[in-house]
Amino acid sequence: MITVQNLKKQFGSNVVLKDISTTIREKEVVCVIGPSGSGKSTFLRCLNLLEDVTSGKVDIAGVEVTDPKTNIDKLREDVGMVFQRFNLFPHLTVLQNIMLAPKYIKKMDKAANEKKAMELLAKVGLAEKRDEYPDRLSGGQQQRVAIARALAMNPRVMLFDEPTSALDPEMVGEVLQVMKDLAHEGITMIVVTHEMGFAREVADRVLFMDGGYIVEEGTPAVIFDAPKHERTQAFLSKVL
Amino acid sequence: MSDTLQIMSDALPILFEGLLITLKIAAISLVIAFVIGLAAGLMSTARSRIIRGLAGIYVDIIRGTPLLVQVFFIYFGLPEFFDTRIDPEVAGIVAVSLNAGAYIAEVVRAGINSVDKGQVEAARSLGMNRFYTMRLIVLPQALRRMIPALVNQFIISIKDTALLSVIGIRELTQSGEIIISTNFRSFEIWGMVGVFYFLLILPLSRLSLLLERRLNLR
Ligand SMILES: Nc1ncnc2c1ncn2[C@@H]1O[C@H](COP(=O)(O)OP(=O)(O)O)[C@@H](O)[C@H]1O
Ligand SMILES: [Mg+2]
Repeated sequence: MITVQNLKKQFGSNVVLKDISTTIREKEVVCVIGPSGSGKSTFLRCLNLLEDVTSGKVDIAGVEVTDPKTNIDKLREDVGMVFQRFNLFPHLTVLQNIMLAPKYIKKMDKAANEKKAMELLAKVGLAEKRDEYPDRLSGGQQQRVAIARALAMNPRVMLFDEPTSALDPEMVGEVLQVMKDLAHEGITMIVVTHEMGFAREVADRVLFMDGGYIVEEGTPAVIFDAPKHERTQAFLSKVL
Repeated sequence: MSDTLQIMSDALPILFEGLLITLKIAAISLVIAFVIGLAAGLMSTARSRIIRGLAGIYVDIIRGTPLLVQVFFIYFGLPEFFDTRIDPEVAGIVAVSLNAGAYIAEVVRAGINSVDKGQVEAARSLGMNRFYTMRLIVLPQALRRMIPALVNQFIISIKDTALLSVIGIRELTQSGEIIISTNFRSFEIWGMVGVFYFLLILPLSRLSLLLERRLNLR
């Protein structure tokens, strides 16, 4: 589904991703863990070209993302993204947030669009908030709307960049629950997270990143219970 | 005293005609200025250095020279160079439009830059192209924040049209001068001219407050 080959990304002279290669299968749930500043967000953002790639190859569903000829807007329709700070559109209601991209990009018929949006809202447990503006919602509710908004484009892959890091502790659970449900539905997901419990429970595979490399990867059992690499051990001993 | 009332009622229709011309010139100029300002403001946030540079040069030239000089240049300078004549009202509208457009461009640029980058990233990650992102996400948020500064510029430009009296346009200020040159009653006439400008501008400031409150409530 996703192939990353020798991905390198630098900001000026600062090489943030040094040499990243990995393959993500369809329906796989991959959690990315690692210390702050290790390049996790940059890695995700290179997958949908929110950052342009310095060198290397990214291929999503047979489309070479890093090829300059690729229609990147088209590709992004297939790659949903959820941000740490939600980034809902504050001037639009919850329902309008969800319906906007399908309306203008997919030229979706209004009735069908609204029906779909309401289904998604019901799925994230927020049907009654359809006409609220984002600033009237709690952080957890905003993040659930953001997930519904991304899902409205029927993406083949969902990228989550620390979706619960900006939330008050009591709201983390509701967002993780929505993500678990998605994982069980078989959506391909890449999740950057500090929620080790979630990674252990939901991930098919965990990538540990440090210093611009994937230092170690494996099933949650291997990474959490028997990490081979010293740096993985050191990181986990701090966060677990 | 009864004399004063007579002077004022005699002046009223002439000043009113002047007010209408001021209103016309201001209205046309501000519409054009808004279009220019929006275009130049968008240009100043473009990716291309050349496009950004062009917008920057325009803004710098206008901000770096007095409006009076701009009016003279457009009314006297350009027609002389091209060996032609230009209607004073047209020249006045061009000058005020170009002038206000530059200041509005700065307002637009600041408004666009004030929108959180995360908004653009969210829109782009949904598959929206640059145009949709600007039109549906960035500009609606930027315009709301721009309203106070925009109305402020509108008010300044309306008052700036008084300068156009120097090229003989019979707008409000020029009408006042014409009346005074015949009756020598500065106190009454300039007082009335002031009141007319005030009445023109007051509703605009009020409208701005109202809009701001509306949009804050959304
Ligand atoms: N837009 C940018 N410009 C310059 N440096 C950046 C930019 N984005 C991230 N970086 C740098 O890249 C490094 C990795 O950042 P990031 O990918 O956000 O790490 P993580 O998500 O693992 O905390 C950091 O040192 C950060 O300063
Ligand atoms: Mg990060």
